[in-house]
Amino acid sequence: MVALPRPAVRQDRIPAGVTTRDAIHGDLVLDADVVVVGSGAGGATIAAELAECGLDVVIVEEGRYYTTRDFTADASAAVRALYRDGGATMAIGDPPVLFQEGRAVGGSTVINGGMSWRTPERILDRWWREAAIDGVRAKDMEPYFARVEKRIHVAYQDPESIGQDNHLLKRGADAMGWKVIPNLRNQVHCAGSNNCAFGCPTGAKQSALVSYIPRALHFGARLLSDVKVDRVTMHGKRATGIVGRVVGADGRPGHRVSVRAKLVVAACGAIQTPALLARSGVRSPSGRLGHNLSLHPNVKLTAVFDEPVRGWEGVHQAYQVREFEGEGLLFAAVNIPPGILAMTSHPRGPALHALMQDYDKTVVAGMLCEDTSTGRVRTIAGRPQAFYQLAEFDAQKLIRGVALLAELLFAAGARRIATPFAGVPELTCADDTRALYARSIPRKAMEVVTVHMMGTAAMGGDRARAVTDGHGLVHDAERLMVCDASLFPTPIGVNPMETIMALATRAAAHVLDNHRQFA
Amino acid sequence: MTYAHSPLTAALLHSLVPVVLPPEANDLADDVVAHVALTMGALPTNFRRALITGLYGYDTLAVAWAPGGRRRAHQLPPALAEAYYVTWEHGPTPAHEQLAKGVGQLIKLACYEHPAMQAALGYTPAAWIDKVTRRRLEVYGADIARQERSVIEPDPLRPPLKAPRAREVV
Repeated sequence: MVALPRPAVRQDRIPAGVTTRDAIHGDLVLDADVVVVGSGAGGATIAAELAECGLDVVIVEEGRYYTTRDFTADASAAVRALYRDGGATMAIGDPPVLFQEGRAVGGSTVINGGMSWRTPERILDRWWREAAIDGVRAKDMEPYFARVEKRIHVAYQDPESIGQDNHLLKRGADAMGWKVIPNLRNQVHCAGSNNCAFGCPTGAKQSALVSYIPRALHFGARLLSDVKVDRVTMHGKRATGIVGRVVGADGRPGHRVSVRAKLVVAACGAIQTPALLARSGVRSPSGRLGHNLSLHPNVKLTAVFDEPVRGWEGVHQAYQVREFEGEGLLFAAVNIPPGILAMTSHPRGPALHALMQDYDKTVVAGMLCEDTSTGRVRTIAGRPQAFYQLAEFDAQKLIRGVALLAELLFAAGARRIATPFAGVPELTCADDTRALYARSIPRKAMEVVTVHMMGTAAMGGDRARAVTDGHGLVHDAERLMVCDASLFPTPIGVNPMETIMALATRAAAHVLDNHRQFA
Repeated sequence: MTYAHSPLTAALLHSLVPVVLPPEANDLADDVVAHVALTMGALPTNFRRALITGLYGYDTLAVAWAPGGRRRAHQLPPALAEAYYVTWEHGPTPAHEQLAKGVGQLIKLACYEHPAMQAALGYTPAAWIDKVTRRRLEVYGADIARQERSVIEPDPLRPPLKAPRAREVV
């Protein structure tokens, strides 16, 4: 048997510079220039950029360090290991919105679909104009996007990695005459294993785990995994470090960990970051900390075809249908494993079997909606709880999107389609899709999920309206920075990873330009 | 988090398997209930406690449901168990609906994550992953190695403020 080359970024063991709970045998106190809380798109990026320029960086991550070889097709085991609270995190509202956060080294980049899109120019213009953020327009952001795209290898898919579910989506879009584009993804010759959401088992997806984290470690950063940060320590209004606890194998808190630093970066995502700041006693003069939560509500359709599809054979979301981008609607094929498909489908009993028995002939298509309403993250007994009320306008937009996407799938040859709306019978022809507009579909009947949480510590030039300045430095605090999707003043209408990384690169440049301020 | 069902919770979940799942899954009830325990073990403690309390309420309130003949939910025969579940599924409050939906989701997940059910669906992702992983390394090994080298290549945004604390990634 020929020994195959294995990826060189040590995807089979924990690298030097990483300290897991197994190596922490007592209380720990560290000193650093910068402590970064969270190792996802924002945290890993700013850590690597600052470490490369010689700063002493400590990254603190609540989740475990997993290697590429830990990632398998066992979806439910992956969800229990890699997702916060086993994936059972929910924004309370009508309807409740199930959301997912990664909790592992690499953060949500380990479990995302790997879509890598620049922030749309119209969004950046809006941030510049309405949120008074200087240096954020497309021409200003260009070098940061380019730098990120090089680092995480943003590219189109190799043709052989594209599976039949995506070909059918494209066939439908072409038949309708709708704009459909190949997706840009952070991958190196993605094999099309369709396991993105459960950890890439080939290492092709350039998540932070295999890109920015190894880079940060190479340039001397230290990473503590399995450490949950309780709060940022403050001296008056100046952040001085963090304190936290080791998370034991049983989930219980263990030894105490303190990191004293000249700059504290909160990069725990739009749900956890406002809670961390609230627990730390940070009060935004705007009163907007935790407000402004956007979610990009997602719904899915399950379309059964006559022909074999085997949706697990080929890459996740090879194409995006952009015909309705102006309305804030994106469509894609998003195969999901049978357990999760069954779990998120309305039928039960024999009707569930009728849906699932054709799993190998099924295309699961998803829709992203740029939302107009905002919710809030409240901190209750130290834990964040999201509240989000889907606006009637957005609910109507979801119905319109489902009808359009169903029309596309029928044009591709679908025989029947299950909608995300409880009580709505399966659609069996294109005429049924038009009938959706006439139906009264209550919001509580909608099965809505998301992985794009944004906006809860929004940046802006006006401290009366924003939580941070245009670089993420918290207004009315010193040496405290936010570096994740919390910063977005508005939803962005596309997958947020590259925007987070570009803003983190820009924030790093700001720190380096003003390093005396943080010395 | 290690979690094990109480006998009552296990019995109740057993009684819900034929309500939520198709008859094809009846033989898997023990495995389904065991898998639900794994999932519940990953839930946050407060959420899990609320769920268990809800299940207890579901079980005991069946006594007050006239057609049930003063039996608890886990003691109902399948047809009545189904009818009782429907009263919660379309329940008087969102809490009733959410409990029925949530328990149903846990059971459906457990069922279709079972290897026997996945095999029956023809779902064979492990073999596919193995095949394409090998192909990727054989065809694109040089490109992959190039990207891996680039991960640690210096590419400063500006000259370092201090000498970087370079460390070999092992």
